[in-house]
Amino acid sequence: MDSTFTQSRRRDLTIAIFLAALAAVVPVFVKDVNIQNIMVLTLMWAALSQSWNILSGYCGQISLGHALYFGLGAYTTTLLFTKFGVLPWFGMVAGGMISALIALGLGYPTFRLRGHYFVIATIVIAEIGLLLFHNWDYAGAALGIDVPVRGDSWAKFQFTRSKLPYYYFALVFCCVAWLVTWKLENSKWGFWWRAVKDNPDAAESLGVVVFNSKMGAAAISAFMTAIGGAFYAQYVSYIDPDSVMTFQFSLLMALPAVLGGIGTLWGPVLGAVILIPLTELTRNYLGGSGRGIDLILYGSVIVLISLARPEGLIGLFSRKPASKGVPQ
Amino acid sequence: MTTPLLETRGVWQRFGGLIANSDVSIKVGAGEIVGLIGPNGAGKSTLFNLIAGVLPPTQGSIWFNGEDVTRMPAAQRCQRGIARTFQVVKSFETMTVIDNVIVGALVRTTVMKDARRKAHEVLEFCGLGARANVLASQLIPSEKRRLEVARALATEPKLLLLDECLTGLTPIEAQSGVELVRKVRATGVTVLMVEHVMEIVMPLVDRAIVLNLGKVLVEGKPTDVVRHPEVISAYLGDRHAISA
Repeated sequence: MDSTFTQSRRRDLTIAIFLAALAAVVPVFVKDVNIQNIMVLTLMWAALSQSWNILSGYCGQISLGHALYFGLGAYTTTLLFTKFGVLPWFGMVAGGMISALIALGLGYPTFRLRGHYFVIATIVIAEIGLLLFHNWDYAGAALGIDVPVRGDSWAKFQFTRSKLPYYYFALVFCCVAWLVTWKLENSKWGFWWRAVKDNPDAAESLGVVVFNSKMGAAAISAFMTAIGGAFYAQYVSYIDPDSVMTFQFSLLMALPAVLGGIGTLWGPVLGAVILIPLTELTRNYLGGSGRGIDLILYGSVIVLISLARPEGLIGLFSRKPASKGVPQ
Repeated sequence: MTTPLLETRGVWQRFGGLIANSDVSIKVGAGEIVGLIGPNGAGKSTLFNLIAGVLPPTQGSIWFNGEDVTRMPAAQRCQRGIARTFQVVKSFETMTVIDNVIVGALVRTTVMKDARRKAHEVLEFCGLGARANVLASQLIPSEKRRLEVARALATEPKLLLLDECLTGLTPIEAQSGVELVRKVRATGVTVLMVEHVMEIVMPLVDRAIVLNLGKVLVEGKPTDVVRHPEVISAYLGDRHAISA
């Protein structure tokens, strides 16, 4: 009885290890910098979407304000480095913790809201964050901050000559995000989250502390998102509020998961692998004139998917009879 | 009856001007099957929700296993040993049957292996063993009712609250439901059930408590209760009471 379950978990892990190994050797063959850039971004968005998926996919609390945590991660690392000389590695963790704390602080009032009201609250809060950073002089206000170049090193996490170190960091980040999800999926938290998503009242009656479950999901999700933000700041070495905290980032975190399969282990990865190259390539081809076209493409893809495969593309690979019946 | 497992003392519940429960004091002893009956709007469901911890009563107190649980949230009451089913089934629809039950089992353990084993046991006990890997949304209504019971039993309750779990089933399904309730009691679980269908409940319960207009009307042996003139008049009107 349990063997099928254990087998499928093990199969997921095997596939993941295989894919990670494959991704690790790809740069040996792909020397084109543009394509390497796309690969870095794909891994990063896969990881970010995986983080978003924990709160919004598993626990069902749809957030369209994750740009806030992304921006906080980027700003914390950059500010600590430029103002106090703190190495980005510490800044990254600090950003994660600050984001997690803020997520808890925001969750306290907002998790009382249900459904659409919660979504709207997350959008509004992220917009407030954006405005604050626009006007915060110490953090460079609207002009943003340059990360000063201090020479290539792992300690300072700066590399000007090659994208490969970033690529490998993004790969590790993506693997960790996946592993965290894999681990959580078969844990008390994972079950509590799914129960909360499906029916909070029933969950409560079975001993699930709904509020705490949401808070836990929010903290983990925000922490991992901020790590992504910190990485992004190091990668592009310049940040301003509009380049790390706009609504578009919140959307970009949600879309891969939605496309691939919301609340599933593989959904975010699958979605990112399809969406990010698509959007980057259209952007490259259309150049500056194509601003926004990539989003139109995104939109069309999502519409198509929701018509054909409401449970996400992962449904195409489904091996369990479970995913045959789409609820409603 | 020595210290009852469950006791409500002078419980009142008002919703604005409406009084759903007025001065309700009931006792349920360990090992009993007690039926909570009464016509529509009698306040059964409200009392039920007060005991389960969905909301606190306006006045009065609720005692479980010698402890005052009046203000305790539902999740904590579940940890103390109160489990419930819902009148309108509330399955976790996107989860498989076994996963639904695991959620319940996780109250007693955090080791996934143990929770899974427990869930399988409970499913077998409830006759849903063959449906373990099906999505809850694919179950037929009577199976969903069983799933509600299974989920509740997985929390290893001392007291099981069944909210109209036999209503709306075919006679055969209801009969097997009755057998399930008997089996549950045989494992030492106390059962308090709200029920509409008198002819099914009455042979099953040890004691019946009749609510009417928010008050306890009568309580006692089922055979006595159904003959009680006030009960008959509450259900059928005064004319029938007189002729009885």
